Amino acid sequence: MKARKKVVPATRASGGGRARDPFATPRRRPALGGVPASRLAGRPSRSTAAPAHPGSQPALAASRAGATAGDRAATVDLTIDLAPGRPGGLPLRNPILVASGTFGYGVEYGDVVDVQRLGAICCKGTTLKPRIGNLPPRVTETPAGMLNSIGLQNPGVDGVVEKYAGLWSTWQVPVIVNVAGESIEDYVAVARRLDGVPGVAGIELNISCPNVGKGGLQFAVDADAAGAVTAAVRRATDLPLLVKLSPNVADVRGIARAIEAGGADAISAINTLSGIAMDREHRRPLLGNVYGGLSGPAIKPVGLRVVYEVAQTVRIPVVGIGGIAALEDVLDYLMAGASAVQVGTAIFADPTLPVRLIDELAAWCAANGLASFRELVGAALPAGPRGRGRGRDRPSAQGVEYRP
Amino acid sequence: MRLADAELLDSRQILPGQWLQTYAAPWLAAANPRAGQFVHVRTPDYSGLVLRRPFSINTLDRGSGALTIHFRITGKGTEWLARARPGERLEMLGPLGRPFEIDPRTRHVLLVAGGLGIAGVRALADEALEQGRRVTLLFGAARAAEVYPSTLLPPEVEYVVATDDGTLGHGGFVTDLVPAYEAWADQAFACGPWPMLATLGSLAAGRDARLGVARLGRKPRRAPSNAPRGSTQARRKAWLQVSLEQHMGCAVGACLGCVVFGVDGPQRVCREGPVFAADEILWEPVA
Repeated sequence: MKARKKVVPATRASGGGRARDPFATPRRRPALGGVPASRLAGRPSRSTAAPAHPGSQPALAASRAGATAGDRAATVDLTIDLAPGRPGGLPLRNPILVASGTFGYGVEYGDVVDVQRLGAICCKGTTLKPRIGNLPPRVTETPAGMLNSIGLQNPGVDGVVEKYAGLWSTWQVPVIVNVAGESIEDYVAVARRLDGVPGVAGIELNISCPNVGKGGLQFAVDADAAGAVTAAVRRATDLPLLVKLSPNVADVRGIARAIEAGGADAISAINTLSGIAMDREHRRPLLGNVYGGLSGPAIKPVGLRVVYEVAQTVRIPVVGIGGIAALEDVLDYLMAGASAVQVGTAIFADPTLPVRLIDELAAWCAANGLASFRELVGAALPAGPRGRGRGRDRPSAQGVEYRP
Repeated sequence: MRLADAELLDSRQILPGQWLQTYAAPWLAAANPRAGQFVHVRTPDYSGLVLRRPFSINTLDRGSGALTIHFRITGKGTEWLARARPGERLEMLGPLGRPFEIDPRTRHVLLVAGGLGIAGVRALADEALEQGRRVTLLFGAARAAEVYPSTLLPPEVEYVVATDDGTLGHGGFVTDLVPAYEAWADQAFACGPWPMLATLGSLAAGRDARLGVARLGRKPRRAPSNAPRGSTQARRKAWLQVSLEQHMGCAVGACLGCVVFGVDGPQRVCREGPVFAADEILWEPVA
């Protein structure tokens, strides 16, 4: 154990405004520090993949931790700041978000889901002007996934602000508005409109919608364009800024680097993969728009790969998206370098999943002796546990101070 | 809207490839669903089948909470569903969508069903009879073997059948039968394939002009209601209401996946529908 004790490396002091190393403060609480046996048993490390699995049985975790499992899970620090470089940041109470387009504006599921418990909500893609979207059919099931081509149907940024921002401002869950556009001017105009609106906690730039002719995909496939649109929006607003990457590119690292240089606070990855489904009966493509975006368990390996690559390329937090449907998937993404995750397609099958994942993650961390899930972030990266090995540092995974 | 388990009580094949299943869902009955609404059923294996499957509430016994759904095997999800054994528990989300709206003054109710579309209007037969209205069901199928068994209908329903190949009842489309009933029927409700509904839609649009003479002796109508199109009041006044189906994602209005294009832009089948007044829908583009 001694050998693994965490020490603040002197080199990190040169990190500019980020003098305090998020990884230097393991935030072990005394209550947790007193269980070295369980910590040893379940300690996640590069050499053992086993710890990823006990979480699948909350009962196991509970039995190991005894009657106090619930208490211990309650003390696990799930907070994360997705915009550590920004004054005020984007503090989330937990790293489980709901992905854009799968949760509407947070109101649709009514009282079936307790939205206030979520880490954050990414709302449906919002454009400057209202859009009616693509021709139906717009969704279809595919092997281990689904294709969608909604085509950014939305009431426009004014409509969204009028209809929902007032409600959002009364919520404790932050709402991140997903923004799409056809030109840099569009993105900037929407960002300006959202800037300072109560209820809007941040912006996620959707530069990667594969379903519309000019859905901004051209921004996601070109590093210069991605950097330019990020920088332009950055200048237009002080809101925390996430940029969502497309997997439909040759090398995602250059684009991620450009987005970081453009001033993004975090990167979310990935958007859907472009695909087609066939209507055999009529001998034509099934979707009205021909092309659709593939999501669901089928794309999890792709998402993991992109997060793994981006997390080694940038210092800003990475939000993992793609095929998350169980605690194991969350753990995989965290180990690959994601500081938070977004649940998407799985919500359609099980609307209560995101809230359950929060509890399962806390229980798993408690059962494995982690004071915070953040200790897991980037555990599988080749740079190894922080401070050792070569390569870049892991991306930021900084907690927040308030406890609800 | 509630999310709960329902236990499969009985499952039987009533027509080739078509199944009728009964579930114990007292929680659904307690939510007081109406004809036209639907439930969204979870599939067993998320890693393979990622979407829930929507099914119209075929019948619902309010006393016992026995829900029936009627479906045809069209893919992996329904294949699995047909294999389910009594005792299995399925997770359902419901009741969802907006119901059929019967005008309180309507005495004669015409139901038009094409094939599996019977599942969409079956509950309305019960509801209308319960309210003391007279019900005629026009049913169309490809051939006699696929005609919905009359034993599954309440005896008070007048049941008229059309088959495409003429093996039973009228030979031809079910829509051929509608003109004979359009004067009798105060309101019509339909569910079935898109071309059938589109034909009915155009029939309904011309009905007032054709029946104008029948109105001679009546008091002039009040000024047309100013209820906005798509509102419950406007639908209640509509002569023809249709129940549509569409590939569906979330079924609560979040994903915008199940839209059809209406006169006023895209309409979510799960939220604004599945029941629409015929004049809300743009029938041409997909026909």
